[in-house]
Amino acid sequence: MQTKKYTNKIISLKKKANYIRNLVLDTAVKTGAGHVTSSFSCAEILTILYYGNILRYNPKNPSWDRRDRFIMSKGHASIILYPILAELGFFPKEWLNTSCQENGRIGLHLQHDVPGVETTAGSLGHGLGIGVGMALAAKMDKKKYFTFVLLSDGECQEGSTWEATMLAGQHGLNNLIAIIDRNFLCATDFTEKCVKLKPLDKKWKSFGWDVAEIDGHSVEDILHAFKDFRTKKRDKPYVIICNTIKGKGVSFMENKPLWHGRVPKGVEITQAKNELNIGE
Amino acid sequence: MEITLRDAFFDKLYDIAKKDRDVVLVSADMGAPSLDKFRADLNSQYLNVGVAEENMIAVAVGLALSRKKVFIYAIVPFTTSRCYEFIKLDISLTKTPITIIGVGAGYSYDDSGPTHHATEDISIMRVLPNMEILNPSDSIMAESFAEMAYKSDHPIYIRLDRKILPNYSNKSDSFKEGYKELKLGKGICIVATGNMIQNALIIHDKCLEKGKNIGVINLYRLKPINVKKFKNCLEKYEHIISWEEHLLAGGMGSILAEIIMDNKLCVKLTRFGVDDQYCYMYGRRNIQRRTGIDVDNVMNEIMEY
Repeated sequence: MQTKKYTNKIISLKKKANYIRNLVLDTAVKTGAGHVTSSFSCAEILTILYYGNILRYNPKNPSWDRRDRFIMSKGHASIILYPILAELGFFPKEWLNTSCQENGRIGLHLQHDVPGVETTAGSLGHGLGIGVGMALAAKMDKKKYFTFVLLSDGECQEGSTWEATMLAGQHGLNNLIAIIDRNFLCATDFTEKCVKLKPLDKKWKSFGWDVAEIDGHSVEDILHAFKDFRTKKRDKPYVIICNTIKGKGVSFMENKPLWHGRVPKGVEITQAKNELNIGE
Repeated sequence: MEITLRDAFFDKLYDIAKKDRDVVLVSADMGAPSLDKFRADLNSQYLNVGVAEENMIAVAVGLALSRKKVFIYAIVPFTTSRCYEFIKLDISLTKTPITIIGVGAGYSYDDSGPTHHATEDISIMRVLPNMEILNPSDSIMAESFAEMAYKSDHPIYIRLDRKILPNYSNKSDSFKEGYKELKLGKGICIVATGNMIQNALIIHDKCLEKGKNIGVINLYRLKPINVKKFKNCLEKYEHIISWEEHLLAGGMGSILAEIIMDNKLCVKLTRFGVDDQYCYMYGRRNIQRRTGIDVDNVMNEIMEY
Protein backbone atom coordinates (compact mmCIF):
# COMPACT_ATOMS: atom_id res chain seq x y z
CA MET A 1 0.00 0.00 0.00
CA GLN A 2 1.24 3.46 -0.86
CA THR A 3 2.10 5.79 1.97
CA LYS A 4 0.68 9.28 2.16
CA LYS A 5 4.17 10.66 1.72
CA TYR A 6 4.59 8.74 -1.53
CA THR A 7 1.16 9.82 -2.78
CA ASN A 8 2.01 13.44 -2.03
CA LYS A 9 5.29 13.05 -3.88
CA ILE A 10 3.45 11.77 -6.93
CA ILE A 11 0.97 14.63 -6.86
CA SER A 12 3.71 17.16 -6.36
CA LEU A 13 5.81 15.81 -9.26
CA LYS A 14 2.79 15.75 -11.57
CA LYS A 15 2.11 19.38 -10.75
CA LYS A 16 5.75 20.21 -11.23
CA ALA A 17 5.84 18.58 -14.66
CA ASN A 18 2.86 20.68 -15.67
CA TYR A 19 4.50 23.78 -14.26
CA ILE A 20 7.62 22.99 -16.31
CA ARG A 21 5.46 22.64 -19.44
CA ASN A 22 4.08 26.09 -18.71
CA LEU A 23 7.59 27.47 -18.36
CA VAL A 24 8.51 25.94 -21.72
CA LEU A 25 5.47 27.48 -23.37
CA ASP A 26 6.06 30.89 -21.77
CA THR A 27 9.71 30.92 -22.84
CA ALA A 28 8.85 29.84 -26.38
CA VAL A 29 6.11 32.44 -26.74
CA LYS A 30 8.28 35.18 -25.26
CA THR A 31 11.25 34.46 -27.47
CA GLY A 32 9.45 33.07 -30.52
CA ALA A 33 11.67 29.99 -30.61
CA GLY A 34 11.97 26.51 -29.15
CA HIS A 35 11.12 22.89 -29.77
CA VAL A 36 8.02 22.85 -27.65
CA THR A 37 6.58 19.45 -28.55
CA SER A 38 9.91 17.62 -28.11
CA SER A 39 10.09 19.21 -24.68
CA PHE A 40 6.54 18.35 -23.65
CA SER A 41 7.18 14.67 -24.37
CA CYS A 42 9.97 14.51 -21.81
CA ALA A 43 8.50 16.83 -19.17
CA GLU A 44 7.82 14.08 -16.62
CA ILE A 45 11.21 12.47 -17.26
CA LEU A 46 13.17 15.67 -16.62
CA THR A 47 10.99 16.69 -13.70
CA ILE A 48 11.64 13.42 -11.95
CA LEU A 49 15.37 13.42 -12.73
CA TYR A 50 15.82 16.88 -11.20
CA TYR A 51 13.06 17.09 -8.58
CA GLY A 52 12.46 13.44 -7.79
CA ASN A 53 15.74 12.75 -5.97
CA ILE A 54 17.26 10.87 -8.88
CA LEU A 55 20.16 13.05 -10.05
CA ARG A 56 22.87 14.29 -7.70
CA TYR A 57 23.86 17.85 -8.55
CA ASN A 58 25.03 21.04 -6.95
CA PRO A 59 23.93 24.34 -8.52
CA LYS A 60 26.55 26.21 -6.48
CA ASN A 61 29.27 23.97 -7.84
CA PRO A 62 28.13 22.66 -11.26
CA SER A 63 31.37 20.76 -11.82
CA TRP A 64 31.20 19.06 -8.41
CA ASP A 65 33.26 15.91 -8.88
CA ARG A 66 30.69 13.59 -7.29
CA ARG A 67 27.74 14.86 -9.32
CA ASP A 68 25.88 12.49 -11.58
CA ARG A 69 26.53 13.26 -15.22
CA PHE A 70 23.36 14.08 -17.12
CA ILE A 71 23.72 14.36 -20.86
CA MET A 72 20.72 15.68 -22.71
CA SER A 73 21.57 14.20 -26.05
CA LYS A 74 18.31 15.44 -27.57
CA GLY A 75 19.70 18.94 -27.29
CA HIS A 76 17.05 20.51 -29.49
CA ALA A 77 14.78 20.29 -26.45
CA SER A 78 17.03 22.67 -24.51
CA ILE A 79 14.00 24.83 -23.82
CA ILE A 80 12.90 22.38 -21.14
CA LEU A 81 16.29 21.83 -19.51
CA TYR A 82 17.24 25.49 -19.33
CA PRO A 83 14.21 26.61 -17.25
CA ILE A 84 14.85 23.75 -14.82
CA LEU A 85 18.52 24.67 -14.44
CA ALA A 86 17.58 28.32 -14.00
CA GLU A 87 14.98 27.42 -11.37
CA LEU A 88 17.52 25.39 -9.48
CA GLY A 89 19.96 28.29 -9.50
CA PHE A 90 22.56 27.10 -11.98
CA PHE A 91 22.26 30.42 -13.84
CA PRO A 92 20.11 33.60 -13.71
CA LYS A 93 16.49 33.25 -14.84
CA GLU A 94 16.94 36.40 -16.94
CA TRP A 95 18.88 34.32 -19.43
CA LEU A 96 15.61 32.62 -20.41
CA ASN A 97 13.97 35.90 -21.40
CA THR A 98 16.62 36.69 -23.97
CA SER A 99 17.04 33.15 -25.25
CA CYS A 100 17.68 33.11 -29.01
CA GLN A 101 17.70 36.94 -29.06
CA GLU A 102 20.47 39.22 -30.30
CA ASN A 103 21.67 39.92 -26.78
CA GLY A 104 20.95 36.42 -25.54
CA ARG A 105 23.32 34.17 -23.61
CA ILE A 106 21.60 30.94 -24.63
CA GLY A 107 20.07 29.69 -27.86
CA LEU A 108 17.94 27.00 -29.39
CA HIS A 109 20.39 24.16 -28.74
CA LEU A 110 22.34 23.15 -25.67
CA GLN A 111 25.65 24.87 -25.02
CA HIS A 112 28.44 23.21 -23.07
CA ASP A 113 29.42 26.53 -21.51
CA VAL A 114 26.14 26.95 -19.63
CA PRO A 115 26.43 25.94 -15.95
CA GLY A 116 24.79 22.56 -15.39
CA VAL A 117 25.12 21.47 -19.03
CA GLU A 118 27.66 18.72 -19.63
CA THR A 119 27.94 18.82 -23.41
CA THR A 120 26.88 20.76 -26.44
CA ALA A 121 23.98 19.03 -28.16
CA GLY A 122 21.71 19.72 -31.08
CA SER A 123 23.40 17.42 -33.53
CA LEU A 124 22.01 14.01 -32.68
CA GLY A 125 23.93 10.82 -31.97
CA HIS A 126 26.73 12.30 -29.87
CA GLY A 127 25.46 11.97 -26.33
CA LEU A 128 25.48 8.26 -25.67
CA GLY A 129 29.12 7.82 -26.77
CA ILE A 130 30.20 10.68 -24.53
CA GLY A 131 28.21 9.10 -21.72
CA VAL A 132 29.99 5.80 -22.31
CA GLY A 133 33.32 7.63 -21.94
CA MET A 134 32.20 9.21 -18.68
CA ALA A 135 30.94 5.89 -17.33
CA LEU A 136 34.21 4.20 -18.30
CA ALA A 137 36.19 6.96 -16.57
CA ALA A 138 34.13 6.41 -13.41
CA LYS A 139 35.00 2.71 -13.54
CA MET A 140 38.70 3.45 -14.06
CA ASP A 141 38.75 5.85 -11.11
CA LYS A 142 36.38 3.77 -8.94
CA LYS A 143 34.03 6.74 -8.64
CA LYS A 144 30.41 6.27 -7.64
CA TYR A 145 28.63 8.75 -9.86
CA PHE A 146 26.11 7.57 -12.44
CA THR A 147 25.90 8.77 -16.02
CA PHE A 148 22.44 9.42 -17.47
CA VAL A 149 21.81 10.06 -21.15
CA LEU A 150 18.45 11.25 -22.46
CA LEU A 151 17.98 10.25 -26.09
CA SER A 152 15.22 10.93 -28.54
CA ASP A 153 13.89 7.91 -30.39
CA GLY A 154 14.71 9.60 -33.70
CA GLU A 155 18.28 9.60 -32.43
CA CYS A 156 18.14 5.81 -32.42
CA GLN A 157 18.26 6.07 -36.21
CA GLU A 158 21.85 7.38 -35.88
CA GLY A 159 24.56 4.76 -36.44
CA SER A 160 26.74 6.34 -33.77
CA THR A 161 24.06 5.66 -31.16
CA TRP A 162 24.35 1.96 -31.86
CA GLU A 163 28.17 2.08 -31.85
CA ALA A 164 27.93 3.44 -28.33
CA THR A 165 25.19 0.99 -27.34
CA MET A 166 27.38 -1.92 -28.39
CA LEU A 167 30.45 -0.66 -26.54
CA ALA A 168 28.48 -0.01 -23.34
CA GLY A 169 27.10 -3.55 -23.50
CA GLN A 170 30.56 -4.94 -24.15
CA HIS A 171 31.93 -3.28 -21.02
CA GLY A 172 28.91 -4.05 -18.86
CA LEU A 173 28.61 -0.42 -17.82
CA ASN A 174 26.21 -0.80 -14.90
CA ASN A 175 26.79 2.87 -14.00
CA LEU A 176 25.22 4.08 -17.25
CA ILE A 177 21.50 4.69 -17.72
CA ALA A 178 19.99 5.63 -21.05
CA ILE A 179 16.50 7.07 -21.16
CA ILE A 180 14.71 7.11 -24.49
CA ASP A 181 11.96 9.64 -25.10
CA ARG A 182 9.99 7.30 -27.34
CA ASN A 183 7.46 9.69 -28.86
CA PHE A 184 7.41 7.84 -32.18
CA LEU A 185 8.24 10.98 -34.13
CA CYS A 186 11.38 12.33 -35.68
CA ALA A 187 11.39 15.86 -37.14
CA THR A 188 9.15 15.43 -40.18
CA ASP A 189 7.52 12.04 -39.87
CA PHE A 190 6.63 9.10 -37.67
CA THR A 191 9.69 6.96 -36.95
CA GLU A 192 7.91 3.79 -37.95
CA LYS A 193 6.99 5.31 -41.30
CA CYS A 194 10.48 6.42 -42.35
CA VAL A 195 12.93 4.11 -40.54
CA LYS A 196 11.16 1.85 -38.12
CA LEU A 197 12.66 1.25 -34.73
CA LYS A 198 10.44 -1.60 -33.56
CA PRO A 199 11.21 -3.78 -31.74
CA LEU A 200 13.23 -1.19 -29.89
CA ASP A 201 13.30 -3.10 -26.60
CA LYS A 202 14.62 -6.24 -28.24
CA LYS A 203 17.26 -4.27 -30.11
CA TRP A 204 18.69 -2.79 -26.89
CA LYS A 205 18.42 -6.11 -25.10
CA SER A 206 20.37 -7.85 -27.84
CA PHE A 207 23.10 -5.20 -27.48
CA GLY A 208 23.62 -6.26 -23.88
CA TRP A 209 21.41 -3.86 -21.94
CA ASP A 210 18.82 -4.33 -19.24
CA VAL A 211 15.59 -2.90 -20.63
CA ALA A 212 12.50 -1.40 -19.05
CA GLU A 213 9.61 -0.11 -21.11
CA ILE A 214 7.22 2.24 -19.38
CA ASP A 215 4.65 4.98 -19.83
CA GLY A 216 6.88 8.03 -19.99
CA HIS A 217 4.16 10.34 -18.74
CA SER A 218 3.39 8.25 -15.67
CA VAL A 219 5.21 9.64 -12.65
CA GLU A 220 4.61 6.35 -10.86
CA ASP A 221 6.10 4.31 -13.72
CA ILE A 222 9.17 6.52 -13.99
CA LEU A 223 9.84 6.47 -10.27
CA HIS A 224 9.42 2.72 -10.27
CA ALA A 225 11.89 2.34 -13.16
CA PHE A 226 14.51 4.24 -11.13
CA LYS A 227 13.78 2.41 -7.88
CA ASP A 228 16.99 1.47 -6.06
CA PHE A 229 19.05 2.09 -9.18
CA ARG A 230 22.13 3.05 -7.17
CA THR A 231 22.17 -0.08 -5.05
CA LYS A 232 20.61 -2.60 -7.39
CA LYS A 233 23.03 -5.32 -8.45
CA ARG A 234 23.34 -5.07 -12.18
CA ASP A 235 26.03 -6.20 -14.56
CA LYS A 236 24.73 -4.35 -17.60
CA PRO A 237 23.90 -0.82 -18.65
CA TYR A 238 20.24 0.04 -18.21
CA VAL A 239 17.87 1.63 -20.69
CA ILE A 240 14.41 2.93 -19.86
CA ILE A 241 12.26 3.23 -22.95
CA CYS A 242 9.67 5.84 -22.08
CA ASN A 243 6.66 5.70 -24.37
CA THR A 244 5.53 9.28 -24.72
CA ILE A 245 3.42 11.61 -26.82
CA LYS A 246 5.13 14.42 -28.66
CA GLY A 247 3.40 17.63 -27.62
CA LYS A 248 1.77 15.93 -24.62
CA GLY A 249 -0.69 18.18 -22.83
CA VAL A 250 -1.89 20.31 -25.73
CA SER A 251 -4.35 18.49 -27.97
CA PHE A 252 -3.66 20.34 -31.21
CA MET A 253 0.09 19.75 -30.89
CA GLU A 254 -0.01 16.11 -29.89
CA ASN A 255 1.40 13.69 -32.47
CA LYS A 256 1.56 16.35 -35.16
CA PRO A 257 4.86 16.32 -37.06
CA LEU A 258 4.31 19.91 -38.23
CA TRP A 259 4.62 21.15 -34.66
CA HIS A 260 8.24 19.96 -34.35
CA GLY A 261 9.65 23.44 -34.82
CA ARG A 262 6.58 25.62 -34.37
CA VAL A 263 5.75 28.00 -31.56
CA PRO A 264 2.07 28.74 -30.80
CA LYS A 265 0.70 32.13 -31.77
CA GLY A 266 -2.45 34.15 -30.96
CA VAL A 267 -5.41 32.03 -29.88
CA GLU A 268 -3.22 28.94 -29.91
CA ILE A 269 -1.40 30.33 -26.90
CA THR A 270 -4.60 30.77 -24.91
CA GLN A 271 -5.86 27.33 -25.87
CA ALA A 272 -2.54 25.72 -24.99
CA LYS A 273 -2.46 27.48 -21.63
CA ASN A 274 -6.04 26.46 -20.88
CA GLU A 275 -5.37 22.83 -21.70
CA LEU A 276 -2.19 22.72 -19.65
CA ASN A 277 -3.91 24.21 -16.65
CA ILE A 278 -7.04 22.05 -16.59
CA GLY A 279 -7.35 20.55 -13.15
CA GLU A 280 -4.70 22.86 -11.64
CA MET B 1 68.33 2.29 -34.77
CA GLU B 2 65.92 3.99 -37.15
CA ILE B 3 62.26 3.59 -36.29
CA THR B 4 59.01 4.87 -37.73
CA LEU B 5 57.54 8.11 -36.47
CA ARG B 6 54.61 6.15 -35.08
CA ASP B 7 56.83 3.83 -33.05
CA ALA B 8 58.90 6.74 -31.75
CA PHE B 9 55.69 8.49 -30.70
CA PHE B 10 54.18 5.45 -29.01
CA ASP B 11 57.41 4.47 -27.26
CA LYS B 12 57.48 7.90 -25.67
CA LEU B 13 53.77 7.77 -24.88
CA TYR B 14 54.34 4.42 -23.17
CA ASP B 15 56.92 6.01 -20.85
CA ILE B 16 54.56 8.89 -20.10
CA ALA B 17 51.54 6.63 -19.51
CA LYS B 18 53.53 4.40 -17.18
CA LYS B 19 54.11 7.36 -14.90
CA ASP B 20 50.67 8.94 -15.28
CA ARG B 21 47.81 6.49 -14.97
CA ASP B 22 45.35 9.11 -16.24
CA VAL B 23 46.76 8.77 -19.74
CA VAL B 24 44.39 6.72 -21.90
CA LEU B 25 44.95 5.57 -25.46
CA VAL B 26 41.79 5.00 -27.49
CA SER B 27 42.05 3.09 -30.74
CA ALA B 28 39.51 2.26 -33.42
CA ASP B 29 40.90 -1.25 -33.82
CA MET B 30 44.31 -0.09 -35.02
CA GLY B 31 47.47 -1.82 -33.98
CA ALA B 32 51.20 -1.17 -34.20
CA PRO B 33 54.24 -3.11 -32.99
CA SER B 34 54.97 -0.33 -30.50
CA LEU B 35 51.39 -0.53 -29.26
CA ASP B 36 51.66 -4.19 -28.31
CA LYS B 37 53.80 -3.21 -25.32
CA PHE B 38 51.29 -0.54 -24.32
CA ARG B 39 48.40 -2.99 -24.54
CA ALA B 40 50.24 -5.68 -22.60
CA ASP B 41 51.65 -3.57 -19.77
CA LEU B 42 49.10 -0.78 -19.52
CA ASN B 43 45.96 -2.62 -20.47
CA SER B 44 43.69 -0.61 -18.20
CA GLN B 45 44.81 2.55 -20.01
CA TYR B 46 44.13 1.16 -23.46
CA LEU B 47 40.67 1.07 -25.00
CA ASN B 48 39.77 -0.49 -28.32
CA VAL B 49 36.36 0.84 -29.32
CA GLY B 50 36.24 -1.42 -32.35
CA VAL B 51 35.68 -0.29 -35.89
CA ALA B 52 33.59 2.69 -34.86
CA GLU B 53 35.35 5.99 -35.43
CA GLU B 54 32.54 8.39 -34.52
CA ASN B 55 32.12 6.61 -31.25
CA MET B 56 35.89 6.67 -30.75
CA ILE B 57 35.71 10.46 -30.67
CA ALA B 58 32.62 10.57 -28.45
CA VAL B 59 34.00 8.08 -25.93
CA ALA B 60 37.36 9.88 -25.88
CA VAL B 61 35.54 13.13 -25.13
CA GLY B 62 33.63 11.51 -22.26
CA LEU B 63 36.93 10.30 -20.84
CA ALA B 64 38.62 13.68 -21.32
CA LEU B 65 35.72 15.51 -19.66
CA SER B 66 36.35 13.16 -16.74
CA ARG B 67 39.93 14.44 -16.54
CA LYS B 68 41.64 11.66 -18.46
CA LYS B 69 44.48 12.64 -20.79
CA VAL B 70 43.29 11.05 -23.97
CA PHE B 71 45.11 10.09 -27.16
CA ILE B 72 43.08 8.83 -30.12
CA TYR B 73 44.70 6.69 -32.76
CA ALA B 74 43.75 5.51 -36.26
CA ILE B 75 44.82 5.90 -39.89
CA VAL B 76 44.43 9.55 -40.96
CA PRO B 77 41.17 9.38 -42.96
CA PHE B 78 39.48 7.35 -40.24
CA THR B 79 40.46 9.70 -37.45
CA THR B 80 39.70 12.92 -39.35
CA SER B 81 37.21 12.99 -42.22
CA ARG B 82 35.30 9.88 -41.12
CA CYS B 83 34.39 11.44 -37.77
CA TYR B 84 34.76 15.09 -38.66
CA GLU B 85 31.58 16.48 -37.17
CA PHE B 86 32.29 14.74 -33.86
CA ILE B 87 35.73 16.37 -33.81
CA LYS B 88 34.21 19.73 -34.67
CA LEU B 89 31.51 19.76 -32.00
CA ASP B 90 32.93 17.64 -29.22
CA ILE B 91 36.63 18.54 -29.41
CA SER B 92 37.19 21.73 -31.36
CA LEU B 93 34.16 23.73 -30.20
CA THR B 94 34.56 22.67 -26.59
CA LYS B 95 38.38 22.97 -26.71
CA THR B 96 38.61 19.54 -25.13
CA PRO B 97 42.29 18.64 -24.66
CA ILE B 98 42.53 15.48 -26.73
CA THR B 99 45.36 14.44 -29.02
CA ILE B 100 44.28 12.97 -32.34
CA ILE B 101 47.00 10.81 -33.82
CA GLY B 102 46.63 10.03 -37.49
CA VAL B 103 49.10 7.69 -39.11
CA GLY B 104 49.71 7.72 -42.85
CA ALA B 105 50.33 11.34 -43.85
CA GLY B 106 50.09 12.04 -47.58
CA TYR B 107 50.66 8.96 -49.70
CA SER B 108 52.29 6.97 -46.86
CA TYR B 109 49.83 4.17 -47.58
CA ASP B 110 51.05 4.08 -51.14
CA ASP B 111 49.90 0.49 -51.57
CA SER B 112 46.37 1.12 -50.35
CA GLY B 113 44.63 3.59 -52.63
CA PRO B 114 42.47 6.63 -51.89
CA THR B 115 40.65 5.05 -48.94
CA HIS B 116 43.91 5.33 -47.01
CA HIS B 117 45.51 8.41 -48.60
CA ALA B 118 45.69 11.54 -46.48
CA THR B 119 45.70 14.43 -48.89
CA GLU B 120 42.93 16.66 -47.56
CA ASP B 121 43.36 16.34 -43.80
CA ILE B 122 45.41 19.52 -43.37
CA SER B 123 42.74 21.53 -45.18
CA ILE B 124 39.84 20.22 -43.12
CA MET B 125 41.58 20.14 -39.76
CA ARG B 126 43.06 23.61 -39.96
CA VAL B 127 39.67 25.26 -40.32
CA LEU B 128 38.68 23.95 -36.90
CA PRO B 129 39.13 26.65 -34.26
CA ASN B 130 41.33 25.73 -31.26
CA MET B 131 43.00 22.88 -33.16
CA GLU B 132 46.80 22.71 -33.25
CA ILE B 133 48.33 20.74 -36.12
CA LEU B 134 51.74 19.09 -35.92
CA ASN B 135 53.40 17.35 -38.84
CA PRO B 136 56.72 15.83 -37.77
CA SER B 137 59.32 15.05 -40.40
CA ASP B 138 61.36 12.55 -38.41
CA SER B 139 61.20 10.24 -35.42
CA ILE B 140 63.09 12.59 -33.07
CA MET B 141 60.43 15.18 -33.68
CA ALA B 142 57.62 12.63 -33.32
CA GLU B 143 58.97 11.54 -29.94
CA SER B 144 59.16 15.12 -28.77
CA PHE B 145 55.62 15.80 -29.93
CA ALA B 146 54.31 13.04 -27.65
CA GLU B 147 55.59 14.97 -24.66
CA MET B 148 54.27 18.28 -26.02
CA ALA B 149 50.83 16.79 -26.60
CA TYR B 150 50.74 15.30 -23.11
CA LYS B 151 51.35 18.73 -21.60
CA SER B 152 48.89 20.52 -23.87
CA ASP B 153 45.66 22.08 -22.62
CA HIS B 154 43.95 22.16 -26.02
CA PRO B 155 43.20 19.80 -28.94
CA ILE B 156 46.07 18.70 -31.15
CA TYR B 157 46.07 16.80 -34.41
CA ILE B 158 49.34 15.01 -35.17
CA ARG B 159 49.78 13.50 -38.63
CA LEU B 160 52.49 10.88 -38.77
CA ASP B 161 54.17 9.49 -41.82
CA ARG B 162 53.96 5.71 -41.99
CA LYS B 163 57.50 5.17 -43.27
CA ILE B 164 60.91 5.40 -41.64
CA LEU B 165 62.24 8.86 -42.46
CA PRO B 166 65.82 10.12 -42.03
CA ASN B 167 66.44 12.10 -38.85
CA TYR B 168 67.35 15.73 -39.42
CA SER B 169 66.37 16.93 -35.97
CA ASN B 170 68.48 16.99 -32.84
CA LYS B 171 67.35 15.59 -29.53
CA SER B 172 68.12 18.97 -28.00
CA ASP B 173 65.68 20.83 -30.30
CA SER B 174 62.73 22.33 -28.44
CA PHE B 175 60.38 22.52 -31.47
CA LYS B 176 58.68 25.52 -29.96
CA GLU B 177 59.04 27.84 -32.94
CA GLY B 178 56.90 25.71 -35.25
CA TYR B 179 59.40 25.90 -38.11
CA LYS B 180 63.11 25.52 -38.68
CA GLU B 181 65.27 27.00 -41.39
CA LEU B 182 67.32 23.92 -42.20
CA LYS B 183 69.25 25.59 -45.03
CA LEU B 184 69.86 29.29 -45.30
CA GLY B 185 69.77 30.14 -48.99
CA LYS B 186 69.57 33.10 -51.29
CA GLY B 187 66.75 34.09 -53.61
CA ILE B 188 64.70 30.90 -53.59
CA CYS B 189 63.49 28.93 -50.57
CA ILE B 190 61.51 25.71 -50.38
CA VAL B 191 59.01 25.46 -47.54
CA ALA B 192 58.04 21.84 -46.96
CA THR B 193 56.46 19.72 -44.25
CA GLY B 194 56.62 16.10 -43.13
CA ASN B 195 58.23 13.62 -45.50
CA MET B 196 58.78 16.26 -48.19
CA ILE B 197 61.63 17.71 -46.15
CA GLN B 198 63.92 14.93 -47.31
CA ASN B 199 63.06 15.78 -50.92
CA ALA B 200 63.64 19.47 -50.31
CA LEU B 201 67.09 18.69 -48.97
CA ILE B 202 67.87 16.54 -52.02
CA ILE B 203 66.98 19.47 -54.26
CA HIS B 204 69.02 21.80 -52.10
CA ASP B 205 72.10 19.62 -52.66
CA LYS B 206 71.43 19.23 -56.39
CA CYS B 207 71.00 22.98 -56.80
CA LEU B 208 74.22 23.64 -54.92
CA GLU B 209 76.03 21.48 -57.47
CA LYS B 210 74.59 23.74 -60.14
CA GLY B 211 75.59 26.88 -58.33
CA LYS B 212 72.21 27.74 -56.77
CA ASN B 213 71.96 28.05 -53.02
CA ILE B 214 68.30 27.62 -52.17
CA GLY B 215 66.95 27.76 -48.65
CA VAL B 216 64.89 25.02 -46.97
CA ILE B 217 62.36 25.65 -44.21
CA ASN B 218 60.68 22.84 -42.34
CA LEU B 219 57.17 23.98 -41.34
CA TYR B 220 56.35 21.26 -38.82
CA ARG B 221 53.63 23.10 -36.95
CA LEU B 222 50.96 24.01 -39.46
CA LYS B 223 48.74 25.70 -36.90
CA PRO B 224 49.14 28.00 -35.11
CA ILE B 225 51.99 29.75 -36.88
CA ASN B 226 54.08 32.41 -35.22
CA VAL B 227 53.43 34.77 -38.11
CA LYS B 228 55.47 37.68 -36.73
CA LYS B 229 58.65 35.64 -36.75
CA PHE B 230 57.85 33.40 -39.68
CA LYS B 231 57.14 36.27 -42.08
CA ASN B 232 60.60 37.67 -41.37
CA CYS B 233 61.99 34.33 -42.40
CA LEU B 234 59.98 34.35 -45.66
CA GLU B 235 60.86 37.95 -46.45
CA LYS B 236 64.54 37.10 -46.70
CA TYR B 237 63.73 35.43 -50.01
CA GLU B 238 62.40 36.62 -53.35
CA HIS B 239 60.65 33.40 -54.27
CA ILE B 240 59.05 30.84 -51.99
CA ILE B 241 58.33 27.31 -53.23
CA SER B 242 55.76 25.42 -51.19
CA TRP B 243 55.94 21.68 -51.59
CA GLU B 244 53.57 19.20 -50.04
CA GLU B 245 52.18 15.73 -50.51
CA HIS B 246 48.66 17.04 -50.07
CA LEU B 247 45.96 18.69 -52.12
CA LEU B 248 46.72 22.26 -53.11
CA ALA B 249 43.30 23.42 -51.95
CA GLY B 250 43.64 24.50 -48.35
CA GLY B 251 46.96 22.79 -47.65
CA MET B 252 50.34 24.15 -46.58
CA GLY B 253 50.71 26.19 -49.77
CA SER B 254 47.40 27.86 -49.00
CA ILE B 255 48.66 28.66 -45.51
CA LEU B 256 51.71 30.38 -47.03
CA ALA B 257 49.58 32.22 -49.58
CA GLU B 258 47.39 33.57 -46.80
CA ILE B 259 50.37 34.71 -44.76
CA ILE B 260 51.99 36.39 -47.77
CA MET B 261 48.79 38.13 -48.80
CA ASP B 262 47.56 39.11 -45.35
CA ASN B 263 50.94 40.59 -44.45
CA LYS B 264 51.52 42.19 -47.86
CA LEU B 265 54.86 40.45 -48.26
CA CYS B 266 56.71 41.18 -51.51
CA VAL B 267 57.50 37.54 -52.13
CA LYS B 268 56.65 35.38 -55.12
CA LEU B 269 54.97 32.06 -54.28
CA THR B 270 54.87 28.90 -56.38
CA ARG B 271 52.90 25.99 -54.95
CA PHE B 272 53.65 22.34 -55.61
CA GLY B 273 50.99 19.98 -54.39
CA VAL B 274 48.33 17.63 -55.67
CA ASP B 275 45.85 19.14 -58.06
CA ASP B 276 42.12 18.47 -57.75
CA GLN B 277 42.20 14.67 -57.92
CA TYR B 278 42.16 11.30 -56.19
CA CYS B 279 44.35 8.57 -57.56
CA TYR B 280 44.30 4.83 -57.94
CA MET B 281 48.09 4.69 -58.24
CA TYR B 282 50.60 2.67 -56.30
CA GLY B 283 54.20 3.15 -55.19
CA ARG B 284 55.01 6.46 -53.53
CA ARG B 285 57.54 7.65 -56.10
CA ASN B 286 55.17 6.70 -58.90
CA ILE B 287 52.29 8.60 -57.29
CA GLN B 288 54.48 11.63 -56.69
CA ARG B 289 55.68 11.54 -60.31
CA ARG B 290 52.21 11.18 -61.76
CA THR B 291 50.79 13.95 -59.60
CA GLY B 292 53.68 16.24 -60.48
CA ILE B 293 55.17 16.58 -57.01
CA ASP B 294 58.29 14.44 -57.53
CA VAL B 295 61.86 15.63 -57.07
CA ASP B 296 62.65 15.74 -60.81
CA ASN B 297 59.66 17.87 -61.72
CA VAL B 298 60.15 20.34 -58.90
CA MET B 299 63.91 20.46 -59.62
CA ASN B 300 63.30 21.19 -63.31
CA GLU B 301 60.89 23.97 -62.47
CA ILE B 302 63.28 25.53 -59.99
CA MET B 303 66.15 25.47 -62.47
CA GLU B 304 64.04 27.61 -64.78
CA TYR B 305 63.59 30.34 -62.15
